[in-house]
Amino acid sequence: MRRAFRRRPGKFTYLVLTAIAFFSFFPLYWSVVVASQDNSALGKMPPPVLLGGNLWFNLKRAFTMVPFEKALINSFLVAGSITLSVVLFSTLAGFAFAKLRFRGRNILLLSIIATMMVPTTLGIIPLYMLMAKIQWTGTIYAVIVPAMVNGFGVFFMTQYLSEAVPTELLEAGRVDGCSTIRLFWHVVLPAARPAAAVLGMLTFLTAWNDFFWPLVVLTPEDPTVQVVLSTLSAGRITDYSLALTGALIAILPLLVVFVVLGKQIIGGIMQGAVKG
Amino acid sequence: MTQLATEERVVPRRGLLHRLDVKGSPYLYIAPFFLLFLGFGVFPLIFTAWVSLHDWSLLSEEHTWIGFGNYTKLFDDPAFWNALWNTVSIWVLSTVPQLLLALVLAHILNQRLRGQTFWRMSALIPNITSVAAVAIIFSQLFGRDYGLINWVIGLFGVDKVDWTANTWSSHVAVSTMIIWRWTGYNALIYLAAMQAVPKELYDSASLDGATSFQQLRKITVPAIRPTIIFTVIISTIGGMQVLAEPLLFGGNGLTGGSDRQFQTLALYLYEVAFGRFDFGYASASSWVMFLIIVIVAAINFGITSRLRRS
Amino acid sequence: MRRRFTAVVPIVAAALLATAACGSDDGDSQAADDGPVALTVATFGEFGYKELYAEYMQLHPNVKITERITKTEDHHKNLAAHLATNTGAADIEALEEGWIGQFTAQPSKFVDLSEFGANDIKAQWPEWKWKVGTSKDGKVIGLGTDAGGMAMCYRSDLFKKAGLPTDRAEVSKLWPTWEQYIETGKKFEAAKVPGAHFFDGPTVMYRSILGQAPVGLYDGDNVVVDSNPDVKKAFDLSAQAVTSGLSARAEAWTPAWNAGFAKGTFATLACPSWMMAYIQTQAKDATGKWDIADVPGGGGNWGGSWLTVPKQGKHTKQAYELAKWLTAPEQEVKVFQKYGNFPSTMTLYGDPAIKDFKNPYFNNAPVGEIFSKSVTTMKPQYLGPKAGDINTQIINGLTRIEQGKQTPDQSWQQVLTDVKALL
Repeated sequence: MRRAFRRRPGKFTYLVLTAIAFFSFFPLYWSVVVASQDNSALGKMPPPVLLGGNLWFNLKRAFTMVPFEKALINSFLVAGSITLSVVLFSTLAGFAFAKLRFRGRNILLLSIIATMMVPTTLGIIPLYMLMAKIQWTGTIYAVIVPAMVNGFGVFFMTQYLSEAVPTELLEAGRVDGCSTIRLFWHVVLPAARPAAAVLGMLTFLTAWNDFFWPLVVLTPEDPTVQVVLSTLSAGRITDYSLALTGALIAILPLLVVFVVLGKQIIGGIMQGAVKG
Repeated sequence: MTQLATEERVVPRRGLLHRLDVKGSPYLYIAPFFLLFLGFGVFPLIFTAWVSLHDWSLLSEEHTWIGFGNYTKLFDDPAFWNALWNTVSIWVLSTVPQLLLALVLAHILNQRLRGQTFWRMSALIPNITSVAAVAIIFSQLFGRDYGLINWVIGLFGVDKVDWTANTWSSHVAVSTMIIWRWTGYNALIYLAAMQAVPKELYDSASLDGATSFQQLRKITVPAIRPTIIFTVIISTIGGMQVLAEPLLFGGNGLTGGSDRQFQTLALYLYEVAFGRFDFGYASASSWVMFLIIVIVAAINFGITSRLRRS
Repeated sequence: MRRRFTAVVPIVAAALLATAACGSDDGDSQAADDGPVALTVATFGEFGYKELYAEYMQLHPNVKITERITKTEDHHKNLAAHLATNTGAADIEALEEGWIGQFTAQPSKFVDLSEFGANDIKAQWPEWKWKVGTSKDGKVIGLGTDAGGMAMCYRSDLFKKAGLPTDRAEVSKLWPTWEQYIETGKKFEAAKVPGAHFFDGPTVMYRSILGQAPVGLYDGDNVVVDSNPDVKKAFDLSAQAVTSGLSARAEAWTPAWNAGFAKGTFATLACPSWMMAYIQTQAKDATGKWDIADVPGGGGNWGGSWLTVPKQGKHTKQAYELAKWLTAPEQEVKVFQKYGNFPSTMTLYGDPAIKDFKNPYFNNAPVGEIFSKSVTTMKPQYLGPKAGDINTQIINGLTRIEQGKQTPDQSWQQVLTDVKALL
């Protein structure tokens, strides 16, 4: 990293960031508080803001009530596969839409954007019929495969690459006799890394939190995390301390993934492929 | 086309293979999306269109053909129009501040900060937090008698607001939830785009004594325009499909308040499909909703492009 | 192009529907009784069946039971999706009172249990419980598991402050009718107990009053909201309680309501048996402050469930056998003793295990006796397919009154148009 002339952020910036962080973290912190108490904590006014001693007990309850280990593994498989696939295919398609010329480009891009406008709630019924037909119900394929691509990713990458990859660079590569795929590999991918990191994060998050479709198509014997959470908050009397403990177990892996990967990915890309 | 022509002139001897590569490879790259969408996206679409022409309960074996009956019923349905109006209102109240805040936040995050990863994580935390916790916290904040917000405005001598009871106040509350949950999400998208802006631009601007805000306006915004257009369109699409927040705010009630005052289109769709199990009517609503989103997004796109040109 | 397209769609859809419809065995290929049978039971909340499954598997070594538990709303949505696609439902699916009307209105998706001889055990249940589980054309869809019953929970400490009697027999005498309940409320409010109102809000009260009528929202096939005086009465009484300023305006199930149990923001609340556990968890430190008296207006019920056998199952006969066993009086009493779910089977109400049951948290109230009384004197009322949605509209109407948005008359007019729009 070269020393830049940019002014370093001052105290005020950190103050603003701290305020934002406080607002962002408070509900999460508060779920930890409730998870460490018992269900009557919510009946108290003002609500408690300090940790109780019940966290360990609630964790044990959550793990004995539902097959959490299996669910976590499934969720990782699902969210991981979806993320890899979405990032790869979106970058490929985004490259084509942003930088290559071909017939029908605009109409195809518009049709991809249009797919995002379809309300998906009702698609569950026919999609389930389809899955029953090809005998995928109850398997995680049913959750992974339909989500392997999405319009959001393609559109996002298209917009990003259109500004991040200079056309001159590609033309220079063409003149040198590079094939399209080599250009993709050597020019586009490095430039796409910041966007790929963010797209990866958002995709992982969405896949991890998806609930209704997995609930319908999977069985509780072989669930994802969100599906077992429904079991934890079952009951006419929702035990919030248990429900939020489950929610925490479901969030922690996300945090770990983001911190580890986020550092990895973001750390290496402060300087993109572009040397303006 | 000019570009292609020059290429062929420059490299005349790279015959067939090269031409295949140039002409064919784009289709190859976009093929995965379209193949998978054909496999798993098109059938549900066609199927719901088919269902929308029937009187079709999820629980019944009998599906009576009624042509456009569901559609005509929909146009006379005050609950539908009410939901449409709520959706637009909440969409405006939430999208505009959300994107502006996201832009500013991304700009702040795009400096060389100590604890970079931590600050970026905290932007995404609201989106990760479990909806159950969010629901409870926000209903506490917006509580009528013991809510924190009413307590604060009470300090300034303002009367208690019954947030869920009235149209405008419930829209403000739901929009606040949306802004809270999605600002960081959009900020990260902007941040990714800002990473591609050459740092030297900022450096020279700093030397010229430009303030941070001027840099944002003069350098960043023009440079990441495609991404801004992207978020505007995405937020439009997302905003027209808001479901979780009004559902949570109403304590899981499907009607969105005692007078449907904050029932959005998606929530109405949900009520019809999975509350009343009226699959036919819900499918019709779903298609009409799709058309509305297309129209709104098109108008939106038109405005954004116009702005870009001017 | 377009014409060809529209012609193709119905064909594709029809083909898929046809295949979807034959995705299930219609029970012709019932497995032999002694072969290994795997049964799944899908419930929500806490049915208290864990030990019973183990016991049943011991009695029937060839049967293997898997349970699925989800949240109530999730469970019913999921079931609707599985019934719509004729695949994926469990062998036994539980239904909750608030939803069952929708399902019994479409009996074709379920096995008519009378084919397996369910009518022979009909006498186990009170008439109303049986009737709710039966479709209009007499098909037996569900066997009753638990019942809510209905009583009136009250805070004796707040009653004392308001100068009202605190002994539960005396308190029950205050309100043989709902009108007297409202009068008592006015006395309570006149005493100006700080921070407290007489009742929580109209939701629970309306549901309780309506549940006591012989005819509710439906008379046979017809929705009679606009013509049935009993519906209007339930609405009017609840509205009157609200406009008399008795309400703590704590909407049911909201955090404010939850907090109200511990804080004592409301002094009374109509409560079904499952509400006891709810109050106990919400107000741990209020032991002995809450007590239970009779509900005004006689028997009533809110909540409770049924077990059904979807047609698409592979072992419908064995599923019925299991459902029959789970809902038998001997099993329901075991569940009651361990989990507190109040049994719906009639033969039990003389059973000392139930009748003599007292709850220490509620000042040793004889809850077994109180709830037995309400369940046995309950009148059978038919819950039509849209009962749940109609109730939502009516409760919304009451909430509008409470929020000060409308007068009772305006609100009722809107309820009538809203209900019409549903039909």
